[in-house]
Amino acid sequence: MKMPTLDVKTLWMIRKEIREVTRSRWLILGFIISPMFAWMFQGAFLSFIVYQTSEEPEMVYITLEDDGYWGRHLYESIAGNQSNLLINPLVNITLEEAQQKIADKTISVWVYIPAGFSQELNTTTESTMQIVVNTASFRATAAASRIDAHSREIINEVEIIREVTIYWYTIAPEANYGHQLAIFLVMLTSVLAPAPYISKSFAGEREAKTLEALLVVPMSRIKILGAKLVSGIALTAIYSVFTAVGILTYNLSIIMRVAGLAPELQQANIDLYTVNANTIPLIMFCQFLVLLCAIGIGVVISCLAKDRATAESVNSMIMLIPTFVIGILGFTGSILQYGGILGWIILAIPFSHAILFLNAVLAGTGTLIGLSINVGYMMGFTIVFLFIGAKLFEREAIIS
Amino acid sequence: MITDDVVIKTEGLTKTFEKGKKREVIALNRVDLEITRGEVFGLLGTNGAGKTTLIRVLVGLLTPTEGKAYVLGKDVTEDIDYIRQRVGLLPQEAGIYDRLTARENLIYYGGLYGIPEEELNSRADNLLEIVGLKEKEDYQVKGFSGGMKRKVLVARALVIEPEILFLDEPTTAIDTLGARVVRNMLKEISSQQKRTVILTTHDLTEVKELCDRVGILNEGKLVAIGKPSELEEKFRAANLEEVFTGLVTGEGVYGDASL
Repeated sequence: MKMPTLDVKTLWMIRKEIREVTRSRWLILGFIISPMFAWMFQGAFLSFIVYQTSEEPEMVYITLEDDGYWGRHLYESIAGNQSNLLINPLVNITLEEAQQKIADKTISVWVYIPAGFSQELNTTTESTMQIVVNTASFRATAAASRIDAHSREIINEVEIIREVTIYWYTIAPEANYGHQLAIFLVMLTSVLAPAPYISKSFAGEREAKTLEALLVVPMSRIKILGAKLVSGIALTAIYSVFTAVGILTYNLSIIMRVAGLAPELQQANIDLYTVNANTIPLIMFCQFLVLLCAIGIGVVISCLAKDRATAESVNSMIMLIPTFVIGILGFTGSILQYGGILGWIILAIPFSHAILFLNAVLAGTGTLIGLSINVGYMMGFTIVFLFIGAKLFEREAIIS
Repeated sequence: MITDDVVIKTEGLTKTFEKGKKREVIALNRVDLEITRGEVFGLLGTNGAGKTTLIRVLVGLLTPTEGKAYVLGKDVTEDIDYIRQRVGLLPQEAGIYDRLTARENLIYYGGLYGIPEEELNSRADNLLEIVGLKEKEDYQVKGFSGGMKRKVLVARALVIEPEILFLDEPTTAIDTLGARVVRNMLKEISSQQKRTVILTTHDLTEVKELCDRVGILNEGKLVAIGKPSELEEKFRAANLEEVFTGLVTGEGVYGDASL
């Protein structure tokens, strides 16, 4: 295929395409609102979580069956630190009552210090207590985590010999919640964002009966295709810019929300939830690649579809696959843990490489070779699809 | 032999869709045709007779299955960019860019032919005046009636001042007065500007008023060609309608149908 050059006619067409696109107020608004809303919603949601987990006390049930020193000591320590542990009230309960409440699902956090807890600890240096928690509740989970940490601290502080060793297995290198969120939101919205443009371009031209006259102008079809793509890229640029604005707004909302907390809690929440602003250019770059890839796939769909409705339906159907991948794997960032055929299938999906790229960049673990492979794969995939799109666009059937 | 005067020539032009398949359709069957410069040539035929296919082949949207087609002396399969720079097309079911204004539609289309913007503005002024849309030139076309849109489309086809203008049912959906305006425009560009016009229509009055010659297509074959009066005489018919219906239905034609 001969490479097209940028001439006056192509520029003219690009100008018109952009002008027409910018007059689609709802399309533009969608490209602005979509990333902004996604991030602002997350900002509000996480502010709520920060409040729930840092300020709001939780009712905790406790059952002490151990009559030895360590059980009593632990119980008294929890009861004496209720305000620090954000427990209100601490309710004593029998084992039978607790089991009934668990069966009835009317309990959020239950701490169980069983009989023999102290004796076991004294003889084997190991013992077990239980915390039952309703993990659907952020507040309950946070309260349980605080009790867990406090219990380990008390036991370990008093008896050094009984030091507990805890191994952390990190599946996702970007343990920061904000980074996981960035990957999830950037990927999900970018895969779905080009849909209106895709249905509007060739399928839209065909439906509006404007394609035939367009195809007889003295311009090669590859240039016509290119001009359409440029307007798509212009739209994606709007999207990327507002993603950056959205991320900054999100960061700001978190920072403002934690402002009233103790300094160590402030920093912990900021570290956990915000997105490192230095990585925004790379996020935007990755998003651009994802959008381009989605447009490449969309162009093929648009060239094959008879009308806008068909293009939109087929696009949604095909994009379900990467959306599932992103939904399932994006949040854990654990694509590479899968081996065998499933692993290869996942790696064959170009959007998986965007997740890998973002994981590596945000966690600071990327290597030049690894990142280049991710970018190269996505670019290659996009070029192949655009080539297929160009071939389809050359067909006679495009006008029928 | 193609002379300077012959602007369109086809030799055994055949177009088959789905060739070799069960649904094979021969849309054009060995069509031989010559159209000279400045002529207004009418293509007649029932729906599906091959009129639109013939136009699409001549503007390079479809590739001939067999035979040859020359436009302005160039083979449509080899020099299509040369041809497209010099021909205008108003498709049968032409749409328009709704979000652009009437003027912008003309300017945009002309710009794709590399015509300078200043020149385009002047041509657009003139054409919008002629089709009676000067006052609405800065309105987005989405609010226009079907007839008004068709007028913009006719003006759009003319804005590039093509040597050959292909019009597929140009006056469809335009009111009587609008149709007259279009017809007068076509007469003018043919007689004064010596441009060639190839139009398809179902309106036989329009054919008689505008066309120097007509070609009647039936099931992909060119079954008759000549001046309207010649055809009436040749087929011993009272009018062109009788010639047309006779050739298409095979009834009431008494003359020699061989070309």
